[in-house]
Amino acid sequence: MQRDVAITGLGQTRHSRRRTDVSQAGLAREAALKALDDAGLTIDDIDSVVVASGPELFGAVNQPEKWLVDALGARLKPVVRITSGGGTGLAGALAAYYQIAGGFAERVLVVAYDKLSEGALQYSISTLYDPFWGRDFAVGIMGFSAAYWRARMDILGHTEEAAAMVAVKNRRNAMSNPYAHVKKEVTVEEVLASKPLAWPLKALDVPPISDGAAAVVMCSARAAAGSPAPPAWIHGMGYYCEADNAAERSLLVSEPLALAARRIYRSCGITNPRRQFDVVEVQEPYTCFELNYYESLGLCAPGEAASLIASGATQPDGDIPVNPSGGCLGANPIGAAGLIRMIEVAAQVTGRSEGIQIPGARLGLAQSGGGWANLRGLAVIGA
Amino acid sequence: MTHSRVAVVASAQTELRPAWSGAQHIDLISAVVSNVFKGTGLGLADVDFVFDSGSDVLDGRSISNCGFLGAMGAHHKEESRIEEDGLWAALYGATKIAAGAASVGLIIAYSKPSESDINKFYSSQCEPFLQRPVGFDHRAASGMQAQRYLADHGRTASELASLVARRWRDAAARGRVAVGTCPSAQDVLAAPNAARPLTSLMMSRPTDGAVAVLLASEEIALRSQRAPAWITGLGTSMDSHAFHSRKPGALEACEAAARRALSRAGLAPRSASIAEVSGSSAVGELLVLEALGLADAGKALDAADAGTAINLSGGALPADPVMATGLVRLSEAFRQLTYPRLYGLASPTSAIVHGAGGVGMQSHCVMTLEV
Repeated sequence: MQRDVAITGLGQTRHSRRRTDVSQAGLAREAALKALDDAGLTIDDIDSVVVASGPELFGAVNQPEKWLVDALGARLKPVVRITSGGGTGLAGALAAYYQIAGGFAERVLVVAYDKLSEGALQYSISTLYDPFWGRDFAVGIMGFSAAYWRARMDILGHTEEAAAMVAVKNRRNAMSNPYAHVKKEVTVEEVLASKPLAWPLKALDVPPISDGAAAVVMCSARAAAGSPAPPAWIHGMGYYCEADNAAERSLLVSEPLALAARRIYRSCGITNPRRQFDVVEVQEPYTCFELNYYESLGLCAPGEAASLIASGATQPDGDIPVNPSGGCLGANPIGAAGLIRMIEVAAQVTGRSEGIQIPGARLGLAQSGGGWANLRGLAVIGA
Repeated sequence: MTHSRVAVVASAQTELRPAWSGAQHIDLISAVVSNVFKGTGLGLADVDFVFDSGSDVLDGRSISNCGFLGAMGAHHKEESRIEEDGLWAALYGATKIAAGAASVGLIIAYSKPSESDINKFYSSQCEPFLQRPVGFDHRAASGMQAQRYLADHGRTASELASLVARRWRDAAARGRVAVGTCPSAQDVLAAPNAARPLTSLMMSRPTDGAVAVLLASEEIALRSQRAPAWITGLGTSMDSHAFHSRKPGALEACEAAARRALSRAGLAPRSASIAEVSGSSAVGELLVLEALGLADAGKALDAADAGTAINLSGGALPADPVMATGLVRLSEAFRQLTYPRLYGLASPTSAIVHGAGGVGMQSHCVMTLEV
């Protein structure tokens, strides 16, 4: 196993629908200070800062890392922003990983955030589409995602109930997560009866819109030696894409995610993910995506995701718990969501979860993604 | 951990034009992606990752990299968007190869500011509470830097105008830039005011264009059919966003980035054969040259004819494709190192490459190349 890069500090803000008490810079600072404190460091110990956030239209500040630099105390340090859609939190951590593994820095602070209360979210997302042929009929990301789910229903015979079970599980798990701001248990019947937004997606299949930030301190093996908390080691990570020609894309498995899984698993010796991983955190923008990820990540055979959720295996007491934090259904500050998944896994494998702790977890998987479901990445994190 | 050496093995660039009105983003991008492999013996199948620079704000499109993945040749590859001027994307690529995680990386940067408003691009970078309400922007910051520079060092606006005219002549002679008629120093002085004492021609001219650079590990670079240029030093630094708290008369972030890159390379700045720097205004360029150690404070106007060949391509003043300017500098420096005769150079051995971003050049990236 590679032991080149460790996560030694974890920080999340209080997430909420609208954080009126802080600016974007203040929100980022809140997470950064927590991560630094957790790592027993100050910003003076940090060689380099990576900022990750979603599209500029989300917060209406162009290149916001240039505003954040003062609040982070990072003046005259290397500061760069990675923006790769909704999975940018993981993509930012990936850049930090290579800054360390490539010898550019010893200690890197990664700060990921979005303050979604300051922009018009679905309007912003609608501008993803090609201005000539795509924008007229594309409404946010929901219509596209509904097609994704509908394809599974038509071809695999999956039902609306399967996605509803994800909503029930994640919303129940979020009850124990101190950082989640949506805390309400629901039943399958309530999900099915909730208002259709873009059928088969219904209101309770959809995550909240959140303000929030997350930060980690990442270190070389040498720099991690003095860390007060047990380090979580990154065994492998990557972020892959597929081009945008929708007509040729399979809506059943996520090709870039399956590709990422194949490559990363091979590099870190994962041959049976369901047996080897103790815990999995996925960034599920809508419930149906979690089911797609089960298959793309090899947690079950293609087409078996509905049976996997129904079997209870992905519940916290199942053999492959998925999203014990509640995932995005508990809080969804998009640009931070991928990094939050990594934080939750790092906390699980070092026995430091502040919510539901999976007993004895030693190896975990964090998944993240964005774009129009064509940017997908993952990280394998172990004790 | 031992790190692989990283080389630039090829580059390709479209002409930089005030407006590529007959071409879409994907046309500019696919032109450089298909050209960058020519003569290298490498192809798209050899590329392990694609890192790119472009701006959602200039493109009028959220996650705009998503729409260009096919043109970038990124399908089923690792891809990330680093939103600066392309040089930071190359830096990320260099760390990934140095870590031993990849052998070949394709770095792409593009811009079409002709479809947008460059002043809004910069003013929307200003934080919304204190700076934006008073209309502070990149022109204001550049104008203040210029006033200070001229006053501190007893220089004149006509000297700036001569520098600008010279850069345009260089771009016309050697740069891959659509120039038309070169402005004379008188034309530069007579151009409309941008922010006193800077006229609009003393600000860099926004241009459309794309550039691609191919990076490779030592093992691949040594097998490549062209002589590689090795990346020997990397450094970046960002100054305070608050313009008033930056050190007046200097670019401290550029100094810090240069210190990191040059000390890593063990290169004395004035021993470099070539410097390609991105100044977003005439005084911006002078401040960069001084921060890089290529001239003493206040003396950059006199450094033009010293040992290091500075901005033989014309630099950013005649052609600033904003999100690609730094990667154009890397491409130019690589071309000058590997085809020195095209530029009237004898036997250059090293280059300092500089990129910048932000209002009043808040952030800087420095890379050294050696052959």
